Amino acid sequence: MLGGEDKMDSKYYITWEEYLADHPELERKSKQAIEPKIQKYEDIMFTFIMDLVL
Amino acid sequence: MMDAVAMTNERNQMFRDLFSGKTPQRVPISNPATQDFAIQYAGLDLAECQWDLTKLEQVYNKFCQDFFTDTYPGGSIRIPSHYQILGSTCIVMSSSGFMQHPEVVGLLAEEYDQFIASPYDCLVETILPRLYTELNGSPAKVAMALAKAMRAKSDDLAYLGTIQAKMNAKYGYATMVRALTEAPFDFLADFLRSFKGISGDVRRCPDKVAAACEAVLPLMIKKGTLPNSSMLGATFIPLHMAPYLRDKDFATLYWPTFKKLVETLVGMGQKVELFVEQDWMRYLDYLYELPENTIMRFEYGDAKLVKEKLGKKHIISGFYPVTLLQTGSKQQCVDKAKELLDILAPGGKYWWQADKSIINLDVNGPVVENLRAVLDYVHENGSY
Repeated sequence: MLGGEDKMDSKYYITWEEYLADHPELERKSKQAIEPKIQKYEDIMFTFIMDLVL
Repeated sequence: MMDAVAMTNERNQMFRDLFSGKTPQRVPISNPATQDFAIQYAGLDLAECQWDLTKLEQVYNKFCQDFFTDTYPGGSIRIPSHYQILGSTCIVMSSSGFMQHPEVVGLLAEEYDQFIASPYDCLVETILPRLYTELNGSPAKVAMALAKAMRAKSDDLAYLGTIQAKMNAKYGYATMVRALTEAPFDFLADFLRSFKGISGDVRRCPDKVAAACEAVLPLMIKKGTLPNSSMLGATFIPLHMAPYLRDKDFATLYWPTFKKLVETLVGMGQKVELFVEQDWMRYLDYLYELPENTIMRFEYGDAKLVKEKLGKKHIISGFYPVTLLQTGSKQQCVDKAKELLDILAPGGKYWWQADKSIINLDVNGPVVENLRAVLDYVHENGSY
């Protein structure tokens, strides 16, 4: 996990824990494989958005 | 002649030494010329090359062959395709092909409370639709524009990354990685409130400005965080507004969150590289307080004073005036390089960079010859 997101408090940035809470069906699947991919694209979107105003 | 892999290893070691406070074998050098300069040097059309990136490999090949540097020259964060697709009003290509940042207002003064409550939500819902016309419309239209823009940027960055890897492999450059972020106050000024807007806010609503800087700090930390901290990774922070502030406004509005940003990034094991734009001489005591071995590239000011006050604690860079390359003789340019080498190199902690990047090239002027002479001089005379 990168720094800062624990304090971002945004509906447009979702941590893995929040995502998992919204998708309980993933509890029964391969969470270790899913988590880094879901988090990676959340972070790529964050970087893209921020680069638009930097 | 050393092979490229050995050169990369040697250069990486120079930067590891520099960043950890040891004296490297010689002063490391970064060429100040940009991708824009390299395209013009190759005699190609600036706008066309930024759209058709396949032309850039020959551009970089020629440039890397002809100019000395220890780090990959060029690179660009302003690739036009995704800005065009999103209908950007804040980064636009000029008629001559240069990417420019006009004065824009993404956040209105009456929207401070919304921003303070959730900066990222405010960016997505209010600021981006104001600055990018294609993000202001029906959800389906916005989704399509965003998808196209992300794909375009991803493709362009991947292609540029391939060229960089080829040049690193061929010319043996140091393999540096960078993240980019901003001081919270500068972030608020640059695309949100504008130079004029923030200057008025400092007087009219300083409490809101301070609260907005605090609110956006977590985003700035996250944006500046490298995926993996390493000795050759640095977070680049260009500093903009401080020289235009009164001392008391700097102390209360600019400095507190900027200092927290730098300390947090360094606390995560990262290096921080500041581009200290304009003249910060009245803030040197503040800069001294930053964590040891913070890299500081200065634009203007007194190099002797900076070496004396900061040079034992921090890594100093910059000061070389690129305008001299256009206005001076070759001897004057080399003399200036010698003068700065004599002041800044003793004891280590010096990275040769110029005071600013070179963007435009007057093909009939002396810059090419003068730049080459300066880079060669520092390379040949910068050994410890």
